[in-house]
Amino acid sequence: MAYILNRLLSVLLTLFLISVITFAVTNILPGDVAMMIMGTQSNPEALAGLRETLGLNDPLVVQYGRWIGGLLTGDWGQSLVFKEAIGPLIAQKVVASSLIVVMSMAVALIAAIPLGVWAAVHRDRWQDSTSSTAALVGVSLPDFFWGIMLILLFARALGWLPSSGFVHPGDDFLGAIRHAFLPSLALGLGLMAHLTRMTRATMIGIMGQEFIRVARAKGLSEREVVWSYGLRNAVGPVLTVAGLQIGYLFGSIIVIESLFNFTGMGWLTYQALLNRDIPLIQSTVFVIAAVVMLTNFLVDLLYVVIDPRIRLS
Amino acid sequence: MRRFFKGKGLIGTVIVLAVLLVAVLAPLVIPDSFATQMNMRARLSGPTWEHFFGTDQLGRDLFYRVVLGAQTSIMIAGAAVLMSIVIGLPLGIVSGYFGGWIDNVLMRLVDTLLSFPALLLALTISAVLGPNLTNTIIAIGVAFTPFLARIIRGEALRVAQMPYVEAARAAGTTDAWMILRHILPNIMPAIIVQSTISLAFAILAEAGLSFLGLGTQPPEASWGLMIQASRDYLDVAPWTALVPGAAVAMTVLGLNLFGDTLRDVLDPRTET
Amino acid sequence: MKRRDFLSNTTALFGATMFSGAAPMIASAQTTPVTGGTLIWGHSETTQNLDMHQTGTASTGRVLQNVHNSIVTVDKDFNVIPMLAESFDTSDDGLVYTFKLRAGVKFHNGAEMTSEDVKYSFERCANPDTGAVNFEVFNAVESIETPDPLTVVVTLNAVNAPFLSRLAENGAGVIMPKGSGDVQGETPIGAGPFKFVRREFGNEVELERFDDYWDGPAYLDKVIAREIPEPTVRLTGLRTGELHMINDIPADRMAEIEDAGEMQVVKWFPLNWDFVNLNHTFEPFQDARVRKAFDLIIDKEVLLDGALWGQGATTASPSYPTSESYNSDLSQRAQDIDAARALLDEAGYPAGSLDIVFKATTNYPYHIESAQILVEWFRMAGVNLSIEQLTWADWLSQCWVDKDYQMTMMNFFTLWEPDFLYYSLFNSTGAFNYRGINDPEIDKLTEEARITVDPAARADVYKAVQQRVFDETHDIFLWFRNGSIGAQPDVGGLDSIVHPNGSNLNFHKVWLNA
Repeated sequence: MAYILNRLLSVLLTLFLISVITFAVTNILPGDVAMMIMGTQSNPEALAGLRETLGLNDPLVVQYGRWIGGLLTGDWGQSLVFKEAIGPLIAQKVVASSLIVVMSMAVALIAAIPLGVWAAVHRDRWQDSTSSTAALVGVSLPDFFWGIMLILLFARALGWLPSSGFVHPGDDFLGAIRHAFLPSLALGLGLMAHLTRMTRATMIGIMGQEFIRVARAKGLSEREVVWSYGLRNAVGPVLTVAGLQIGYLFGSIIVIESLFNFTGMGWLTYQALLNRDIPLIQSTVFVIAAVVMLTNFLVDLLYVVIDPRIRLS
Repeated sequence: MRRFFKGKGLIGTVIVLAVLLVAVLAPLVIPDSFATQMNMRARLSGPTWEHFFGTDQLGRDLFYRVVLGAQTSIMIAGAAVLMSIVIGLPLGIVSGYFGGWIDNVLMRLVDTLLSFPALLLALTISAVLGPNLTNTIIAIGVAFTPFLARIIRGEALRVAQMPYVEAARAAGTTDAWMILRHILPNIMPAIIVQSTISLAFAILAEAGLSFLGLGTQPPEASWGLMIQASRDYLDVAPWTALVPGAAVAMTVLGLNLFGDTLRDVLDPRTET
Repeated sequence: MKRRDFLSNTTALFGATMFSGAAPMIASAQTTPVTGGTLIWGHSETTQNLDMHQTGTASTGRVLQNVHNSIVTVDKDFNVIPMLAESFDTSDDGLVYTFKLRAGVKFHNGAEMTSEDVKYSFERCANPDTGAVNFEVFNAVESIETPDPLTVVVTLNAVNAPFLSRLAENGAGVIMPKGSGDVQGETPIGAGPFKFVRREFGNEVELERFDDYWDGPAYLDKVIAREIPEPTVRLTGLRTGELHMINDIPADRMAEIEDAGEMQVVKWFPLNWDFVNLNHTFEPFQDARVRKAFDLIIDKEVLLDGALWGQGATTASPSYPTSESYNSDLSQRAQDIDAARALLDEAGYPAGSLDIVFKATTNYPYHIESAQILVEWFRMAGVNLSIEQLTWADWLSQCWVDKDYQMTMMNFFTLWEPDFLYYSLFNSTGAFNYRGINDPEIDKLTEEARITVDPAARADVYKAVQQRVFDETHDIFLWFRNGSIGAQPDVGGLDSIVHPNGSNLNFHKVWLNA
């Protein structure tokens, strides 16, 4: 319990630091909020007036306090270009992105675990080198390159799947899956390659252990040994690594969502950056970093629950 | 097993050497203008004898662009990784070697920075500084620093706890001497392995930034920029994407193979 | 002579190159409009501020054309014709304008339009606090009176010859319901054929048929304008059937799509015009010789071919090609690198001494292509040009507002009205003078045009402006670009979609065959 409490405190501290860094970085952006609001109509006097009303002349600490106070009380401010309250806007986009993050994770795991096991079982034979090479090629190309190829193949040539847009699962579930499929696949390919390598390494480690030899000695078939004994023990570490990849995915969605016009968090962040929508940049960057950090924390926690020995160290 | 690794390592080494050779030699042998020379009568031409890899939308020769682009891509990636080592190394060593509150503070900061996906960090920095070659290097370099600092700190900590280091410390060796004489040489293998792998990631990051228009600026030839420019002509001239795509894939694959082998040889403990 | 060429060119492009779908059944169905359906349009640009008075971007005006109506409008030859005013009258001294409003015009909020709404709209546009792009249209207005609910009398204190024609664009002539100013920026309300439903910035705008439209309800239930700036993504969407129509077919694909004959293609001329800007406050560009040298470095025909695959026609003047004021005596300077070098030497900038940053926006991908071609020519002339790509927001704030650039490139839509064009862009106090041009000669001429009532004499003044701009090389004009729409065979009524200004699209008479 003390351990968990300790970790929770450290989570809060990290969240605080994330907010400070986010605020600091966005405050050195050229052009300020007043300038963005005035746009092509700006003139120096009007700008000065607006800066005063918006409190942009206050010391940075005061401005930071106002921002963090708003975050805590649920008032996330208004987006300058979307003309909407930022809180609900982000909530809606997080749903969209969760769809492709979960789908790409599923795609990656479904392919990576059998592939990795297959490679481990046939270690150092052609099966192993084939799957290792394929995995290496997978991580060697930028994910937007895969995205482009998928659009060419599935949307342009075959016409099976839509190449752009987002449909809310609540409106049309099948449509949502169809629209999310190509971006998820583009995201999932790189991840799949990484997880295949991870599964292989973990399985090789496990298959060399004592209890596997015992299982074999008991006369269980090799299939049973691999899938029920070997894999069952490999799943934990593999899932942990997968969980830690959430951060990687949240980086990649910026490129992939922009490519597919998929209006999720990555798209929103890119729009915010493109349009210098400073309040929105602050919130999206903060939310992404917070989501990544919290996921890592939960994965850690889960690992502790699974394997209590960790607590001692 | 030995033979496979030999094969893998060999392929990786050959690719890396070949790419490096091209990156260094091509600009010396081929005039710069070959990559920017336009020909409006041969736009989006497929591979021919005249243009081995075809031409792009402005009739520029893709062979020369991809070959001369190697320098840009490698240079950006190399400089970015170097920068992250230059910042990450002292941070990591100080943190790992001295431990205590310095370690706590530094690693808290590093962990916080690690919560920002590297590409998001690089994008934001590039948007803040304005896109050009130098700022692309800075953006990627800064984004990779926390990761390298973390690894180096772990290595430094491990080495610092080794019996002979502790013995030397008890004998009154100064910290500076200790770091130079014992810590640094011992963590070198890990740094080399990580740099190779980071280099691969940096090439991908440059491609990603350029793809979003926040990296290298035209008419410079960089692989990422070439893929970005090809986007509008993909279905009529797929080679405009495939040529730079293949260059990125080959280089990153080579670096990964090379890095993997290097790890097996130099630093067999760290598996993932 | 030239004008006539342009005219025939225009009609040819406008009328003749309409392709209908392959199946004859569809072709015949096209003649009978059908009510219902949602049309999904792949729009080439991102809409910005939705307040019709404040917005300066053509992309926003293009969509809002369906939401708003102006007091008067123009026909294809730019004659002012009635719209929300069923008739209008100008006093002999040119100072009093009387508008008789159409009875029974409803706004989207259900209110009926009266003279009060007109007064409100004009005053809102004129008020400097509104920040309207066209505020100076009303500079000479002394009073706006409303003797009865359907009559508006506008009195000027000085002759303003272009007054009426400037009211023919929504920017100045839009009529909004009284008191709606505060919501126009987010939820525009007007008297147009479609109601604004919602917009997600950077993604899509949704419009819904307004059943009480004074000119009869539109056929479509809804129009959804998806904002897809990427040319290939837009085209892919059309081909896969995700989109019913797109505007701005990628120039390099035009021939291929026309040959395939599976899509309807509408082309017209011109959509907009492009020019290269030199910042007049940047020291080297204060010297007219340097500006002229830069003009001489550029081969406009090759640039048009390179950046736009020839989809346009070069021009030395930005006046609407079919208009009275187009100065056809001007022709572009041919490329002459040696002459340019000599001029630069003379101005004190020998080869290798000029390093220029060219800012180009990714909002118009062909600007990036143009920039890359320019770099090569400038290198040949001993000028080191480097490109900086800017997002649309950055271009607007750096080049447009802060005037922080050395050299850039831009295009303008909808500027067919010569006063709007020349006063805004070249007068030293003009709203669009982001190059810092300060030429007393041009200031004098543009003011003079405003008080010249005789159309032919006025056209001559504008021709003199063009001559002066050309002689001084204040800007480097490149070309008029072709407009294009690609649509599925089941979209009907496309011949009515393009507004005479070449930029706005009107869906009032467009339908979808089931």
